[in-house]
Amino acid sequence: MNPVLRPRSLFIALGVLLALAFFLSLALGPVSLHLLDSLQALLRLVGVPVGDDTLEQAQLIIGQIRMPRTLLGLSVGAVLALCGVAMQGLFRNPLADPGLIGVSSGAALGAAIAIVGGSLFGGIPEAFAPYLLSVFAFAGGLGVTALVYRLGRRDGQTSVATMLLAGIALTALAGAVIGLFTYLADDATLRTLTFWNLGSLNGASYARLWPLLLVTFAVALWLPRRAKALNALLLGESEARHLGFPVERVKRELVFCTALGVGAAVAAAGMIGFIGLVVPHLVRLLVGPDHRVLLPASALAGASLLLFADLIARLLLAPAELPIGIVTALIGAPFFIYLLLRGRA
Amino acid sequence: MRLSLSILLSLIMPAAAFGAETLPQRWLSAGGSLTEWVVVLGGESKLVGVDTTSQHPATVTKLPSVGYQRQLSAEGILSLNADVLVGTEEMGPPPVLEQLSAAGVRIETLSAKSDVTVLEHNLQRLGSLLGDEAKAQEVFAHYQQQLNRQAQWVSAAQSKQAAPRVLLLLGNAGGNPMAAGVDTGANWLIEQAGGHNVATHASYKGISNEALLALDPEVLIVADRRLRGDEAKQALLKSNPALAATRAAKAGRIVVLDPTLLVGGLGPRLPEGLAALSAAFYPASQPLLVEAHANL
Repeated sequence: MNPVLRPRSLFIALGVLLALAFFLSLALGPVSLHLLDSLQALLRLVGVPVGDDTLEQAQLIIGQIRMPRTLLGLSVGAVLALCGVAMQGLFRNPLADPGLIGVSSGAALGAAIAIVGGSLFGGIPEAFAPYLLSVFAFAGGLGVTALVYRLGRRDGQTSVATMLLAGIALTALAGAVIGLFTYLADDATLRTLTFWNLGSLNGASYARLWPLLLVTFAVALWLPRRAKALNALLLGESEARHLGFPVERVKRELVFCTALGVGAAVAAAGMIGFIGLVVPHLVRLLVGPDHRVLLPASALAGASLLLFADLIARLLLAPAELPIGIVTALIGAPFFIYLLLRGRA
Repeated sequence: MRLSLSILLSLIMPAAAFGAETLPQRWLSAGGSLTEWVVVLGGESKLVGVDTTSQHPATVTKLPSVGYQRQLSAEGILSLNADVLVGTEEMGPPPVLEQLSAAGVRIETLSAKSDVTVLEHNLQRLGSLLGDEAKAQEVFAHYQQQLNRQAQWVSAAQSKQAAPRVLLLLGNAGGNPMAAGVDTGANWLIEQAGGHNVATHASYKGISNEALLALDPEVLIVADRRLRGDEAKQALLKSNPALAATRAAKAGRIVVLDPTLLVGGLGPRLPEGLAALSAAFYPASQPLLVEAHANL
C-alpha cells in the first residue's frame, strides 16, 4: 500500500473536516436558527454577554440539545474508530471490527436484560430506566469480552485465533439469549429494543455524557502509547516479542481498552455499526499502516464521520428522525464493498 | 429594532396574552386514539404535528410527522413550535421529554389503558386544555351510552346464543400469525363484543399451526388492513392450511378488523368496530346501529 497523503497534510485536512463537522452540528437542526443568532447564543453560553433575551430559545437549543448531542457524537465516533484500529492491529486483519471480541453483542445482551427484564419485574421508574440501560449495556460488554479473553488464554498465553473463535461463539450465544428475551417481551418493550439496536444520539444530556467523555479521553491517551507495539505486532507476535515488546501485556491492554471504549459508546448511544470497521480501513488507505499516525487520524475521521451521519439522521425526515445506525450502515456498507473491490483490482 | 418591538409588544399584549398562555394553541399529538379525540373535541385546527401512530382521520396524516412515539426528537418538536405535547405513557425517550419540558413545552401524559374511567379522565383533561369541558363531558356521556347499549345488546344476544370462542390474529403476512393474549386491548375488545377469547397466554405471541387447530376458534378475527374482500380471505386460507381447517374458516366466520383499533386505548371509532364484531359473533341477532362521529 502506497500512502496517498503525507501525515501532516492528512492531519490538517482531518482537523479542518472535524471543525466543519462540529460547527455544522451546532448550527444545523430541525429548528432553523440564524447564523448570527447561533453565534451570539454560543458566545452567551460561554459567558460573553452579547445580544438580548430573545436569544433564550437559541441558547437553549444550542446549549441543551445540540451541544451535548455533538459532544456525544464526537466521542462515540472517535472511540469506535480508535477501538477499530486496536482490534485490526490485534487480529492483524484489516477486516476486524470491535464487535469481534463480543463487546457489542454483550452490550446488546445487557440492554435486552435491562429493557425486557425491567418490564417483566413490574417496570423500573421512568426517570431511572435510561441509566439502568446504560449500566447494563456497559456491564454486558465488559463481561462478555472478559469471558472471550479468558477463553483465549492457555498456559499464560493468549491465542488470538482462539479469542476470535470464542468471540464468534459467544456472539451467537448472546444472540440466542437476546432472541429469548425478544420472545418474552411484550409489544412495547420489543419496539424499545429494536430502536435501541439501531442506535441514536437523540436525547443526549450532559448527565449521561461525562462517563463516555472520560472513557474516550482515557482510550485516546492510552492507545497511542501502544502505537509502536501495534506496529511491531504487524510483523507477527513472536517477531514483536523478539523486538522486546511485552506482547501479552499489550494484548490485554488492547482488549481492555476496546471493551471499555466500545462498551461505553454502545451504552450511551446504542449500536452504531461500521464506524469501527470502515474508518481505520479508509485512513490506512490514505496514509499507510503506521499506528502512530493511524490512531489519531482515525479518531479525527471517526468523529467527523459520525457527526455528518448524525446531521443526515436529524435533518432528513425532520421533524422526525432516523436512527443513526441506519445512516452509518447505509453509507458504510457500500463504501466498504467499494474498498474491497478496489483492493482486489 | 427587535428589542424595541418586543418592548412595544409587551406593552400592548399583557391582557391578550393571559388567556392565550393558559390554553395551549399549538398541539402535538403522539398517540393514535388521542389524536382522534382531539379532532372529535374540535381541536383539529390546533394540531401542528402528529406521530406515526396517528392515522385517523385521514386529514391528520397530512400534518408534519414527528416519527414514532417512542423515538421523538426534541429539536424536531421544538421546530414545530408546539405549546403542548399530548401522548400516552409509551411516549419517549424520557431524556427527550425532559429536554422538551425544559424548553417550555407542556407534556401531557395520558394513559392508553382500555378502561372507561381512564377514558373519562383523558377526555376531561383534553377538554380543559382545549377550553371546552362541556363538550368533553357530552362526548364522554354519549360514548358511555353507546358502550352501555352495546353491553345490553350483547346480553340480549347471549340469551339466545352462547358466546362464541374467538381468536384474534395479528400480522399474518409472515405465515406466523401472532395471537392476542388475555392482557391485551384486543382481549377487551373481544369480551366487550360478547366473545370469549380462546387464547390463554399474555400479550401478543406467535402461535403454531398445531396450537391454532387445538384452540379451534369459532370466529377468527384478523387484524390486517390489507385483507380486503373475499378474494384476499381466500388467498389467506390457501396460504395457511391450518387456518383453513379451523371451525371458523369452514363456516366462513373470518372477520377483518382495522388494527388501529387495537392500539392506544379506547378511541372514538371503537363503538362502530364493536358493533361490527358483535354482528359477526351473533349472526342471528339484529345488528346494533351505531352512528359515527360526524367529523371522523
